[in-house]
Amino acid sequence: MNAVIQLAGLETKMFFRDRLSTFWTFLFPVTMIWLFGSMFVGETMNGQTFAEMFVPSWIGVNIVTTSFFTLGTVLTGYRETGVLRRYQSTPLQPWKILAAHAFQGTVIFGISAVLLMVFGMMMYDLRLPEFIGSTLLVLLISILAFFPFALFLTSLAKNTQTAAAISTLFLNLMLFLSGATFPLEMMPTVLQYVAKVLPLYYVIQLMRGTWTEAPITEYGFEAGVLIGIAVVSTILASRFFRWSDK
Amino acid sequence: MKNVIKVENLSKSYGDIKAVKDVSFSVHEGEIFGVIGPNGAGKTTTLEMLEGIIKPDKGNVNVLGLIPCQSLRELNKRIGVQFQATSIQKKMKVKEALALFSSFYKQENQKDYLVELLGLEDKMEVKFDDLSGGWKQRLTLALATLHRPEILFLDEPSMGLDPHARREMWSLIRLLREQGCTVVLTTHYMEEAEKLCDRVAMIYSGELKALNSPRDLLNEVAAHYLTFESDGLGYEQLIGLPGVIRVEIEEGVYKVYSDNQQKTAYHIFSSCESKGLSLSNFRFETGSLDDLFVHYLEKEKIV
Repeated sequence: MNAVIQLAGLETKMFFRDRLSTFWTFLFPVTMIWLFGSMFVGETMNGQTFAEMFVPSWIGVNIVTTSFFTLGTVLTGYRETGVLRRYQSTPLQPWKILAAHAFQGTVIFGISAVLLMVFGMMMYDLRLPEFIGSTLLVLLISILAFFPFALFLTSLAKNTQTAAAISTLFLNLMLFLSGATFPLEMMPTVLQYVAKVLPLYYVIQLMRGTWTEAPITEYGFEAGVLIGIAVVSTILASRFFRWSDK
Repeated sequence: MKNVIKVENLSKSYGDIKAVKDVSFSVHEGEIFGVIGPNGAGKTTTLEMLEGIIKPDKGNVNVLGLIPCQSLRELNKRIGVQFQATSIQKKMKVKEALALFSSFYKQENQKDYLVELLGLEDKMEVKFDDLSGGWKQRLTLALATLHRPEILFLDEPSMGLDPHARREMWSLIRLLREQGCTVVLTTHYMEEAEKLCDRVAMIYSGELKALNSPRDLLNEVAAHYLTFESDGLGYEQLIGLPGVIRVEIEEGVYKVYSDNQQKTAYHIFSSCESKGLSLSNFRFETGSLDDLFVHYLEKEKIV
C-alpha cells in the first residue's frame, strides 16, 4: 500500500513541477467559459441560465481532458520511454500504477473543477449545486467511467503522438456532439442520436440535472450507462495493460 | 558449485528472425557472468528471458528455482535489473526515485549504504533528466540493488560511460559480487568482459559460440598471433610459410595468425635473415577477446 501512496504523491508533485503545462491545463477551461460567456450571457435555454448550462458541462469536459491528456498520454509516454518497463522488474503490480495515476488525475481535475465553479460564481452569478451530494456522486461515477476508458484507448497507441491524436479525436467529437458547446436542440436529429452514443453526453445530462433540477435518483438511466462504461472499461484497461510495446 | 541459473535449449524468434537459437548454459552462484557479442546478437533477448519479461518459444529457464515468466512477481523480489534503454520519470529527483523504489520491497533496504557508496549525496535534489550519463547509470544501478538482490542483471552497464566512469562502474560491480550477489551482464566491450567477468558466454546471430573464463578462451590458439615490423616482407611470402592461417598488414606492422607459432616464427626469422630484410619488435601475442571475436566472425564468413 505504501508504494501506491508514494507513487501517487510523486506523480502529483511532478505534474506541478512543470509550471507551464500546469498553467495551460487550468487556464483552458476557464478561458472557454469566458468565451462562451461573452456570446451567450443573459440568454436562458430550457429555463437554465448561461452559467447553469455551461459551467457544469465544462466540468464534465474537464474529466475528458484529464483522462485523455493527463492520464492516457502520459502513461503512453511512460510506456514509450521505458518507465513502465522498469516497473515490470519490480514487485509493483499494474493496478497500483493505475491507481496512483487515477489519484493524480482526480486531484488535477478537482482543482480545475473548483476553479471553474468559482469563476462561474464570480462572473456569472452561478450558485452552488442544488443537490451537491448528487453532483459529487456524478463526478465520482464519471471519473470511474472515463479514466479507465481513456487509459484503454490510449494504450492502443504505439507512441505519444498517436495517443495524442486518439485523444484529440475523442475530445473534439465529444465536445461538439455531446451538448457541451452547442445545445443539442440546434442539431439535426441524426446527430442528436449520435450524441447519445458518446459517454460525455450522459455526464453532461447528469451534471446539469443535479446542479439545478433533481437529485441523481431521478437520472437512473444516465447513471446506469456510466456505471456500465466504468465496469467494461476497467476490465478492458486492466486486461490489456501493457508494460512495453515489445 | 551451486547453479543459480540454468538454461537449456533456449530459443526465441520474432517473426522470421531467430533472435536466440538453442542456447544452453548455467550461471554459478557468486560469479560475474558476461553475455558478450556484437550489437543485435541476441544478448538482450537472452537476458530478458532470464528476467521473465520475455517468454521463450522453446527450452527451459530456471532462475533461483523459479520459472521466470510464470512466477515473475516472486522472482522480482529476489532479482535486480538495470535495463539498457529505460529511464525513470524525467522530473523525478534522485531522492524521490530511491524512496519510491524502496517502497516496492518489503525487505530491509540498503538505501543509505548505496547512497554513500555511489556518492549520490550531492545529487539527491537533482532531477533525473538533469543527471549526466554516468550519474544516471549510478542511480539506476542503485535502484536495481536497493533490496539486496540475489542476482543482479545488468544490460550494457557501461554503455555511454567515459573510461574513468567505466572503471568505477567495474569496481562497484566487483564490490557487489564480494557481498555475495551473482551478476549477469551483457556487453559488447570486449575489454569489459576480459577485465570484469569470471566467465563469458559469447553469442552472435543468436547462437552460443563459446563459453569459458576469459583467460581460458584466450588460451585457445585461435586468437594467438605473431606481430612484428618489417620493411620488405610481402603478403605472398608470409601466407606460404608453414602453419600460417591469416596475415594482416597495416602500415608496416604485421599480424600473423598461425596454428604453430614456434614453427612459423622460425621460418619468418630465417627468411628475413636469408634475404637480408629488417625485422623488429617481434612479439608473441595472446590476443584479446576482440581478436577472438573477429576470428570467429571471419570463420563464419568462409563457411
